[in-house]
This record gives sequence, structure tokens and C-alpha cells, in this order.
Amino acid sequence: MNPKILSIDDSKTIRMLLKRLFTPFVCELFEAGDGQEGLEVVNREKPDLIILDYNMPVMDGVTMLRQMRENPEFKRLPVIMLTAEASPEIIGTVARLGVRDYVTKPFDSDQLLDKVIRVVNLERRPEA
Amino acid sequence: MSTATNPLGDLSAASGRALKEVFSKQLKLQILQSPFKDALSTVEGKLLHSAVSINGEKISGTVLLQVPELLAQRVTEIMLGSKGDAEEIRDVTGELCNMIAGRVKAELHASGFPATLGTPTVSVGQRIALQLRGEAQLSSTDWSVEGDQAGDFNLQVQIRIIS
Repeated sequence: MNPKILSIDDSKTIRMLLKRLFTPFVCELFEAGDGQEGLEVVNREKPDLIILDYNMPVMDGVTMLRQMRENPEFKRLPVIMLTAEASPEIIGTVARLGVRDYVTKPFDSDQLLDKVIRVVNLERRPEA
Repeated sequence: MSTATNPLGDLSAASGRALKEVFSKQLKLQILQSPFKDALSTVEGKLLHSAVSINGEKISGTVLLQVPELLAQRVTEIMLGSKGDAEEIRDVTGELCNMIAGRVKAELHASGFPATLGTPTVSVGQRIALQLRGEAQLSSTDWSVEGDQAGDFNLQVQIRIIS
């Protein structure tokens, strides 16, 4: 089974940047533009990893995370925060909600990839 | 620019730190402060403006980034790996401003002024200038990308302490 990665960010730029980052690897990438849409994709696709923004319209990342953790099936689903929000309160809150790692924007794509590889097994696609 | 009673101290220096961090970390570009006064007035073509509000119990502010269309196209190509259409170029400009505002917000938080960021708004047009209101502090600095002729760009940061 190819790992499934879900990117939840209201910025199309970030979603496209992540798509570019993961294209060389064997994995399925899913996208959502806010927390509400993210919950729907989580329930439908059951991803292996979520890369989650905090500040989003409709439903922010922390609210989404709280609601997702209420479902025992997703209690331990790995989440990496990727956000411009760097306040200690938010970092503490998401840590208590079992977030694996926290990356603040601006970010180094290689460093993010390293953190992702610690969570899911990513293999490079064979050269065409 | 006045720096009195500003939680960030020298507002120009703080906004410059935020801008340099975003350009170097996200885009791998080095930037320099422009030696020219009102450098944007010499830019030909359209400008993209992106603004993000900063709001807290004790503080409010705005971060406004203005970049020539050509530079916005270059930045889009670096971030997305392709030229991008008009909507993608606007979205990249908005995300860039969001990251800069995030760094400014982090400095405000460290100075005891927690706040939240608004959603970026992006528009296209001529140069615009934030107006000083009441006790607000305003910084406006012009920058260029080292070794690039895409044109100077401008960052304005306005911060107001709510008494």
C-alpha cells in the first residue's frame, strides 16, 4: 500500500508546493482547503499522515485536530503542523493533541521532507 | 519613522528581519535594502499588493507587501517550479505576505503582545501607502533581490497599541 498523505491548508501555494515536494515519491497525496474539508477527507481516505495548517477559514487546524481525535480510529494518526503561527500556546495545545512535529513558515522543504520520512516510508519513484 | 513606544523597538529593523528570513529560507534569495528613496516609483508595469492584518487585545496592525508583477512571477516559479497562472501568482504573493506577517507576529508575541493573523488579501494596481492613524507606528522600506533586475519591492508595517 502506498502511503497516503493529506495536506490541509487554505493556501493553494502551499498545497502546490507540497505536491511538488512529494511528486518524486511513491505516495498518494490528498488536499483540503480547510479543517472541515480536511475531516471529510480523513474519514474517506484514512491517510497515514496529515500536514496541517493552523489559520484557515471555516475551521482552523486546532479545531479540526480536536474533532478528529474524538474518533478512536484517528487518535494516533500522525500529524505535522505547517503554519505561520508560532505562539507557545498553540504549540502547547497541538502537542497535547498528539502532533508529531511542528514546522513554522517560512520553511525549508528538505527539512520538512526529513520530518515526513520519519513518519511514513517514502520510496522514490523509479526513473521513467 | 518614529520608533517611540513601539513593542518591536525599531520597526524597520524588525520588518527587515522578517522579510530577510522569508526570502532566504523559503526562496533561497538574498535581499538588500534599496539605496533609492521611493524606489517603487521607478517600477514599470503592474504591482501586486498583499495585505495581512494582525489583531490582538492590546495591538492591531497591518503588513503590506508590494511587488512588481515580474518579481511576483519569478517568486512563483521558484516556489511552484512552474510559471503559474495569474491566480497562482496572486496566491503566492499572498502566502509570502502571510509568512512575513507570521514572523512579525512572532516578535510581537515575544514582546508580550499576542495576536492573530487575518487572511491575506491580494490586489493589483499602482503603489499604495498605509496611512498613520492615531498613535500608530509605520515602517516603509524598499528592497531588491540581490543580482536580480525584476525591480524593487516595498514592505510596509503599521502597528498600533490599543490603550
